[in-house]
Amino acid sequence: MATLAAAHLTRRFGVRTAVEDVSFELAPGEIFALLGPNGAGKTTTLRMLAGLIEPSVGAVSVDGKPMSRGNAAMLRGKIGFLTEAPGLWDRLTVRQNLTVYARLHGLPDQRRAVDATMELFGIRDRADEFAAQLSKGLKQRVALARALLHEPGIVLLDEPTSGLDPESARDVRGLVLRLRDERRAVLLSTHNLDEVERVADRVAVLRTRMVAVDTPAALRARLFGVQLRVRLAQPAEPFITSAVGAGVSDATAEGQTLSMAVDDAVVRAPAIVRRLVAAGADIQTVAAAEPSLEEVYLRLLESGERPAAP
Amino acid sequence: MRVFALLSKELADLRRNPAVFLPAVITGAISIILPFFVAIIVPYVTGERLSDSSDFRVAIDMYRSQAGSRRLDPEGAIQAWIFQQFLLLLVLTPIAGAMSMAAYTVIGEKQARSLEPLLATPISTFELLAAKVLGSLLPSVGLSVACFVVYLAAVAAVANPGVFLILFAPRSLAIVFLIGPLAALVALQLAVCVSSRVNDARSAQQMGALVILPLSGLLVAQLTGNVELTLPVIVLIVAVLLLLNAGLMRIGIALFDRESILTRWK
Repeated sequence: MATLAAAHLTRRFGVRTAVEDVSFELAPGEIFALLGPNGAGKTTTLRMLAGLIEPSVGAVSVDGKPMSRGNAAMLRGKIGFLTEAPGLWDRLTVRQNLTVYARLHGLPDQRRAVDATMELFGIRDRADEFAAQLSKGLKQRVALARALLHEPGIVLLDEPTSGLDPESARDVRGLVLRLRDERRAVLLSTHNLDEVERVADRVAVLRTRMVAVDTPAALRARLFGVQLRVRLAQPAEPFITSAVGAGVSDATAEGQTLSMAVDDAVVRAPAIVRRLVAAGADIQTVAAAEPSLEEVYLRLLESGERPAAP
Repeated sequence: MRVFALLSKELADLRRNPAVFLPAVITGAISIILPFFVAIIVPYVTGERLSDSSDFRVAIDMYRSQAGSRRLDPEGAIQAWIFQQFLLLLVLTPIAGAMSMAAYTVIGEKQARSLEPLLATPISTFELLAAKVLGSLLPSVGLSVACFVVYLAAVAAVANPGVFLILFAPRSLAIVFLIGPLAALVALQLAVCVSSRVNDARSAQQMGALVILPLSGLLVAQLTGNVELTLPVIVLIVAVLLLLNAGLMRIGIALFDRESILTRWK
């Protein structure tokens, strides 16, 4: 059973539709990335999932229970939400910030929970520092600790590495991966495609409506097919006709490189190599080329592809 | 429990930023000094006793007519009258304290972008508003009580014999411990209602400050002899304040629209 499910979520603000008919499910131990340009409705979607705002149409379910006005407070306790800004109380220490949240969540042994969380996030030595004194990276780390203090099964992260230096961003990515290992369901809203490439199991592209949902590999294959690139010792142009054959739908030449769209690089590569060698080509390298997730993302936004099954 | 959790945060925040309480401290100091200036310092400096002036005849007559204060000498009766009239000024102390803090309670959270993570917890709107109101009210009332203690101690030290006992009476205690906190609560709730809807703390402060107007009117009416704060009048004022507070609590919860706060405030 899905830990978190969004069914036909639509949210209107007056005449403006911020999110329309968005559906997907999130399983335990899965990192699901929500991509989209500014104003695509990512934060609105997260707020609906976190029970902060109600959908105009559609429903959110947590552990199979539909969220309603009556149970939203209770279900919010099962969700950890890292908001876009850390939103720490600057005049309180790190420990005080976390302790207030431990009490708000009604944790039984608050001191132990706070200590354990600070230990886990490597901020124990900063426990008595005021939040205002922390660097941006540390604030984000404390905010993440705060979101996970009550050990929620569902974690919603809104731009968790935005504005962080590479080292801090790497630390946050490490923490996100650890959440997957702990079998928590993680929804990550971000602009950082590199980050998504590194951590996400599935990707959703949102532009008010859901443009596509799938694994990064499946989206690549669907949009670009698999590209095989063969570098020759001589100009590639004369070998285009030799390259095209069974399983190769298209071939182009650029300098000494032949690029071919194939259905399966591993299966087709030996026959292609044989044909090129037979035609007199001197082969230097053969490699399967993957388009970057950025190319996939931009292609999806350009094409406005209709939603895939979640 | 969640109310106390957030309340502890509010009080910790105040400890780190006591300057926000300065207007209330100044109001309290003025409320204490002013009657002593009129009743003790001016007669001492000028060498003229208050009882020599016919302006205060009403005070002497009033205290002579009451069994408990009949033993006061004329100067003591006038002092008791002045200290009782100005007691209403002390009520402004918790209001000033509450106002200087309350306006920032919701707006401050929003500006610090700390409201969204807070709303993502299981806390209810009532719990949130209760913690915010108590976080401003308790320190303000504490300051007011402290001012009253100083007021009484100073009266015991420098006023004529018997004046202290006139002040340390149910009427005075009701003004300080009932009217003061309840009026402060009205001001606070007005400020919280407004601060739920605006992005500017000053708007909230101005709205809450409206409570000072009827209290000032009451003070003037008392000084001119048009109103006497007898126990029945105090009970009536308390009842009105209780009703106002109950209504404002309901309005506050209705006005605190989580969605608008999250989606419209930038």
